[in-house]
Amino acid sequence: MNSVTTRAERRQEIVLQSIAFIILGIAFVGLWHELKNVRATGGQPASEAILLSALSSLFNNLYIVLSMSLVAILFGIACAFYLEEWLPATNWIRRLIESLVAILTGIPSIAYGILAILIFFSYADTLKEAIEAFPLSETIGAIPSQIETTVFYAEALTFILMVMPLTIKTTQEALRSVATPIREAAYVLGASQWQVLTRQVVPIAFTRILAGGCRSMSRAFAMAALLVGIYTWHYTTEPGGMSGRFILFLSVALFLSIFSSTLIWVHGSDSAQHS
Amino acid sequence: MLSEKEQSILSIRNLNIWYGEKQILSSLSFEVQQKQVTAFIGPANCGKSTLVRCLNRLNDFIPNFRSTGEILFNGIHLGASTDTTALRKQIGMVFRKPVLFRCSIYENVAYGARISGVNQSVHLDTIVEKNLRKTGLWDEVENILDETPEQLARGQQQLLCIARALAVEPEVLIFDEPCGELDPIETVKIEKLVRDLTNECTLIFATNKRRQAARVSDVAGFLYGGELIEFGATEKIFTNPQDNRTEQYVTGRLG
Repeated sequence: MNSVTTRAERRQEIVLQSIAFIILGIAFVGLWHELKNVRATGGQPASEAILLSALSSLFNNLYIVLSMSLVAILFGIACAFYLEEWLPATNWIRRLIESLVAILTGIPSIAYGILAILIFFSYADTLKEAIEAFPLSETIGAIPSQIETTVFYAEALTFILMVMPLTIKTTQEALRSVATPIREAAYVLGASQWQVLTRQVVPIAFTRILAGGCRSMSRAFAMAALLVGIYTWHYTTEPGGMSGRFILFLSVALFLSIFSSTLIWVHGSDSAQHS
Repeated sequence: MLSEKEQSILSIRNLNIWYGEKQILSSLSFEVQQKQVTAFIGPANCGKSTLVRCLNRLNDFIPNFRSTGEILFNGIHLGASTDTTALRKQIGMVFRKPVLFRCSIYENVAYGARISGVNQSVHLDTIVEKNLRKTGLWDEVENILDETPEQLARGQQQLLCIARALAVEPEVLIFDEPCGELDPIETVKIEKLVRDLTNECTLIFATNKRRQAARVSDVAGFLYGGELIEFGATEKIFTNPQDNRTEQYVTGRLG
């Protein structure tokens, strides 16, 4: 009964997906344009070198990668809760975001990470001005001074765009995995939406949300490892110059990935016993 | 003047319901009297569940759900501005499948009290014991209150669901095919309990078992294809139906 879709709704769906596709299309055309610029000035490899050294200085830092992806994940989880629990399934904002998320999660992290960074680094100065014009930037901008703030903002945005879609998707799936009868059973006892969320939905979905967060973070670390690796292979003459960091990031990414799969697996056999 | 037993607690006037383009219920009007068992019978997919779920506004969660008409609860119109949380504390519900929370038997029964802010264990103990006794489950679970309800039999789980719903002290309790997945012995227990509960609250009972409706209800309504074909005293529906389709249904030739 819930899956009844009218022709008008299907049409709306197609329109929304086209809009999502166009937004991303424009983003990538812009990106391509910027890449061409990088290559055009590439006769003098200054921009590339600056870029990569900036990358290395930031992505080299375990704590920055960790804290940024954490912030992006928490923000993604909040977004998913809002979309899934507060907005009706027919809301066009929700469907537009879901279309964007569906497209963005399909892009492999290597392609995505590097391209996103290139575009943000090209606009880093504009971005910094825009962010610092924002009244809250005094608070947000409390960054260690040894790090170039321009690059920092660019990196933060990259993380948000790379980690958030996957987190939104996995969290939404986790919330959907909580069966409707459980929610209804709580509602008919007079529980408010908040009580149903905190007492029924979150305890059941928690493992899956956690697993989704780990998966997203694994993606961030995989991307950081790749960037650090590229820098190492290109610019370090001495062998093993940065490979320690590369291996660390790669291990963290692998560990998080395996941990997340294990969580899902254990949770799956656990819930099979209960039903 | 009407006696207390004759006062109608729910009035439904000209209720229409759609899911998307599809009309599920059309022009339903009836009154539910206090402290009686009102049963709705009809074949599968005739709109029984949709109808009873309308009364505690559980259909609100379904996308594309749309309704017109009036539902009056104790004379108050249930509209968009109704506080559904408060409403559902007054109109409880028991489903076909026993759905229990993943916590102890004790916590399951205490759920309604806890969400209303009762936290002293003295009060909770009383509530849990009183409601488990009402459903006749107390002797069986007295020693395993802190264990999970998964070890209980289906019928016991359903009784536990009823105890949990009663602990909220609703004015109206809706049963949506409560015996759909139970064996005959467990069904008898639930039917007996339903009869006993008329002392405390008004009961609404949706079922597709004709004989069950005949056994438990005071008033019955026959739904067919989204229409309320006939509504009246159970005895009359089952022995002297006015409509041809009702007669065919209660004698087993239809549905």
